[in-house]
Formats: sequence, structure tokens, C-alpha cells
Amino acid sequence: MTTRYERTWDNRRKQSKQTPADESANGARSVTDQTRASYYGVPVIHKPHWKWLIIVYFFVGGISGASYVLASIAHLVGGKDAGRIVRAGRYLSLAALLPSPILLILDLGRPERFHHMLYILKLRSTMSVGTWILTIFSGFCGLSALIQAAEDGLLSRIGFANRLLLALPAKAIGAIGSLFGFGMSGYTGILIAATAVPFWAKNYRLMGPLFLTSALSNASAAITLTLSLARGTSHSTLQRLEHLDMLAAIGELTLLIMARRNLGPVIARPLREGSLGNIYRWGVLGVGITAPLALLSLTRLKPHAAPRLLAGISAALTLIGGFLFRYVFVMAGRASADDPQATYEFTRRERPLG
Amino acid sequence: MNAAIPLIDSDLVGTTGARHGAMGYLTDTTLCIGCKACEVACKQWNQLPMDNLEWTGYSYDNTKDLSATTWRHVAFIEQLDGTNGHSPGVMPPFQSNWLMMSDICKHCVKAGCLEACPTGAIIRTEFDTVVIQQDICNGCGYCVPSCPFGVPDLSASDHKAHKCTLCYDRMVDDLEPACSKACPTDSIQFGPIDELMQRAERRVAELHQRGVKSAYIYGDRAVGGTQGIDGLNCFFILTAEPEVYNLPAYPELPQDKVGSAWLATLGAAFAIGAVAVAALRGR
Ligand code: SF4
Ligand code: SF4
Repeated sequence: MTTRYERTWDNRRKQSKQTPADESANGARSVTDQTRASYYGVPVIHKPHWKWLIIVYFFVGGISGASYVLASIAHLVGGKDAGRIVRAGRYLSLAALLPSPILLILDLGRPERFHHMLYILKLRSTMSVGTWILTIFSGFCGLSALIQAAEDGLLSRIGFANRLLLALPAKAIGAIGSLFGFGMSGYTGILIAATAVPFWAKNYRLMGPLFLTSALSNASAAITLTLSLARGTSHSTLQRLEHLDMLAAIGELTLLIMARRNLGPVIARPLREGSLGNIYRWGVLGVGITAPLALLSLTRLKPHAAPRLLAGISAALTLIGGFLFRYVFVMAGRASADDPQATYEFTRRERPLG
Repeated sequence: MNAAIPLIDSDLVGTTGARHGAMGYLTDTTLCIGCKACEVACKQWNQLPMDNLEWTGYSYDNTKDLSATTWRHVAFIEQLDGTNGHSPGVMPPFQSNWLMMSDICKHCVKAGCLEACPTGAIIRTEFDTVVIQQDICNGCGYCVPSCPFGVPDLSASDHKAHKCTLCYDRMVDDLEPACSKACPTDSIQFGPIDELMQRAERRVAELHQRGVKSAYIYGDRAVGGTQGIDGLNCFFILTAEPEVYNLPAYPELPQDKVGSAWLATLGAAFAIGAVAVAALRGR
């Protein structure tokens, strides 16, 4: 696989074709420029190469971790009625997990050396911690999916394995695995926060919770969507999930507003301007959060007006919004790394520690 | 001359966390003549390919930035402040309003790139410098955004991360690194940090005395090596705000945030768990 990197001849050329007006918008220093002097608008820091592979991974990895958590919680406290949620959660978790390591390995500059990450654990390197979380979580996720398969009678031909899987303490496995499930869906936020990129690092306390909450709302939406398509899902099951969808969307909205406020005008520029700003406003906030919230409130007001259809649509919208959220946050980070004024703002904000 | 020097915490001026015996550079920009001998010597010794030459329009700068193939980068800053775009008629008696600075990996005392690297490819050597082991790096690219100074970069040809090694291969043979060896004005000086820092303080005092009041050290704990970075093994003498040279004024070590970020995430996990339990509980 050949990955194309940004700092190549073509791009440098393109950059240098900017008009003076573009350059001062990028923070460049021209003779008439009133902003803080910069070095011809050249970025202070280097942006990561992360793009589609990582955006997709953030999306599916988050769903995998959070569906596992939801399945385990439903198994622990949901009673008999929750069987469908448990099953859907466990299978979805595995389905979303499978592409994850492939995406991560393909994203490496040297994919054949991926195992170099597995000889060492560095607690302050979130990439290292995340690799281990993914590795351990895969074990739990696979095991719980196998237990589910055994319970569903899919493994009855392999009598020994079947008996063994059914004898395992599924609840305890789910509870411990959930810790790693939480880690799976939250570490990605910390991964990008622990960098020098202003857009991510400024909100270092909010990125983990934000990714976690978004993963939960996506997982809950994915389960809702699956069950709304499946025949014979009871009304009460759907209602519980809708309740969860709503709470998650409200939580996500709150965190997004907090994050936006904390960024301040200069660093938040990518969220305001250009196509990213539009995707953020209409896609993430509109399609992904406001529309599902409206639909879900509608089902609450009129409980019997096509509940399944509405639940399914709102879940699909939530998933689209969740993907766009990751797209916008990764790309906005890249844009802010390219903006010298954002880095100046970020590194000027405090006096040095005494 | 721009006299707006950043807020300097005077107690920290000239202090560094560098271990006794650590090696590094003092790059005294007041001596730089912009000849790029350091860039060329670096490319030659480290066998780095040429960059795609182009007219950037950025004064005499044609490499723009540090990259996987440019480990020394000479910045050219023509200060035209307050002249409405005309060439300044009256020049202060110092470098004709033209600043030149040879930038490099700072070999931070606590390095963001090193702490980020998940393979252990980035190590601290016996000289307290920071080196990427090319046989270990798998090109994950995490060191790239983790450096507060924008130094390492993935190479488009071998897809691994590259940056200055402070000529580790020369140092083990008791040779001076290529760039400082080539520098004709001794703008780049190589040696043990304690000695270089003293020399820098003497030089700043001398410059102040000779009328360049804006001279200061970038890379001690007061400016440049701030907030957990604890000093830079490769530090500078500058005469304008750090931003003029495209350097961050008070950078911070990204990994110092990991602990509180995990705590916040843990708190969120509890809250989310509680919400999920409440929503999914069997009736
Ligand atoms: S300047 Fe950047 S690349 Fe160099 S040691 Fe510091 S963090 Fe690492
Ligand atoms: S790109 Fe290489 S040197 Fe940089 S963090 Fe990844 S493995 Fe380490």
C-alpha cells in the first residue's frame, strides 16, 4: 500500500500559489498584516497524517467498545426481556471490532512492523496504551460473541466447545471486558488530546468523555437500528433503547458546547469556517443530534405512531452524525495544526510554571 | 527592532533541567549570516536527499520548514515593521533588520516525541540526545503531532519518521556534529549544556551592553523549554519574539495531560455506566 503524505512536492507548490490574501488568512505575515507576526504562515507544528483509515477506525472502534458495554450492562441488570439487546450488542461489537486492527495496521507507514508495538507498554503513550486495550478487548469481545453463539445454538455441532462456552461465567466476563470496552471507546479522545495540536490539546479533559459519549450514542443507535429492522422486537425493548439514545444525545450536545466554548475564537476557527464548519453545524449538530432528538421526542408524545420506523430513522441519523463528528474533529485538528495563529494562541495562554 | 520580548519569569532565565554532561547546541542567531553551510553539511553527512527546490518567495528560504529530509532549516526574516511596505529608510545598527536563524530539533530534556512513540523507537542516548532508531520505527506517525516544535516527519520514500540525530554517529567517534563543524561564524556551537548555557548568558549580557536590548535565551525554563519540557538541549539566542522565528513561546509537554485526561474519561465512564444501567434496567 502506498500512503500519500501531505508534505510532498505538489502540495508545497500548491501552498506557494496562495494569494497574499489567503496567506494572511492563514496567519502569514505580510507588510500590512496586523495579526501577530508569523513566519510566512508556515505551520509551527506538523499535523498528523491521519485521515480516512483513522476516522473510520475511531467510528467502528468506538461502536465496538460501547456495544460491548451496553450488552454487558443489559445482561447484568436487564432481566429476561433484555435478551435481544444482549445478543445484538455482542454480535455488533464483534462485527465492528473485526475491521479495526486492519485499519490501524494499514495506516502505519510500515504495516509489516505493526508488531513492534506489542513488545512494550508505555503508560504515557496513549498510542501504546490503546494498542494494548485493543488487543485485550479483542479477547473479551471474541469470547462473549462465542458464548452468545453457543447460547443461540450455533455451535451445537461442536459439542465440547459448546458445553465449555455455556459453562463460562458470562456475566463476570462481560463485566471485566466492559472496562476494556470503555477504554476502547474513550482512549481515542485521549490519543489526540495528548499532542501539540491546539484544537485537540486545548480540550484535553473533554476529548475522552466526548469520544466516549459519542461512542455510546452510536452503539445504542446501532443496536436500535438492528432491532428495529428485526422482526418481533418488543415495544418495551425499543423504548428502553430510545430512552438511552436520547440521554446520550443530550450528553453529547452538552459536551460539544462545553468544548466549543473552551476553544476560544482563534482555535475554534475550523469549526466555524468553510466546509468543515458547515459539516459541523448541519451534519454533526443538525442531522446527528437535533434531528434524532426531535424524532425521539415525537415518539414519546405519540407513543403508537409508527414507533419502529421513527426509532430506526433516528438511529440511522445518529450513526451518520457520529461518523461526521469523528470526521470533523480529526480534520479540524489537522486544520488547526496548520494554522500558526492557533499554535501561538495555544502556547501563549499561560505563563511558564514557576 | 521589536522590543516586545515575552514575559520572562526571571527566576527561570538560564536554568535548564538538562543533566550534567548532556550535549547540545547553542545557536546564536546574532552571528548567523544565512550561508546555509549547516543545512548543506547536514544533508551531506546524513545523506539526505535534496528537497524539491522552488522559489518560495520567502526571502532566501527555499526549504521552508524542518522535514524528514531537512534537519537544519535556516529561516530568513526581513523585518519591515512600521514601514508601510517600503524598505526601511533608517536601519538600526544591527543585522539590517534581517534576522536569520538555523532551526533544528531541540532534543528536549523531556521530549514529546519520545514519550509518544509506542514502539520504543525513539530513545535517549548516552549524550542525552533524542534519536529515532530506524530499525524499530513502524511509521505510526504519532511522534509527528506530539512534538511541540513540529520537527519529526514521515518520509514519503521509506514511510518512517526522521529527524536530527545530533550526529550520534559522529559523537560516538568523538567528532563534532556536521552542522556546527561547518558553521563559519560559530553561530552554531556544540558542547556540554552547562558550559553552553553559561556562555549564552554571558553573550546575552554582552549584547545588552552593546545596545541589543532585545536579546534573550530561547530554550531555558523561562521561554521555549517551559511547562514540563524542562529545557531544550539545543537552545538559541534570539532578538525578537519567538513567534517571529515560528517558535512557540510557552510550549508544553503533551504527555503531562495524559493522567488528568484519563481521570476525566474514567469519570465520564462512570456517569455513562450509571445512565445505561438506569435506562436498560428490567422492569
Ligand atoms: S524538538 Fe520535537 S523532535 Fe526534537 S526532541 Fe523535542 S519533541 Fe522530539
Ligand atoms: S512514527 Fe516511528 S518514531 Fe514516530 S512514534 Fe511511530 S514508531 Fe515511534
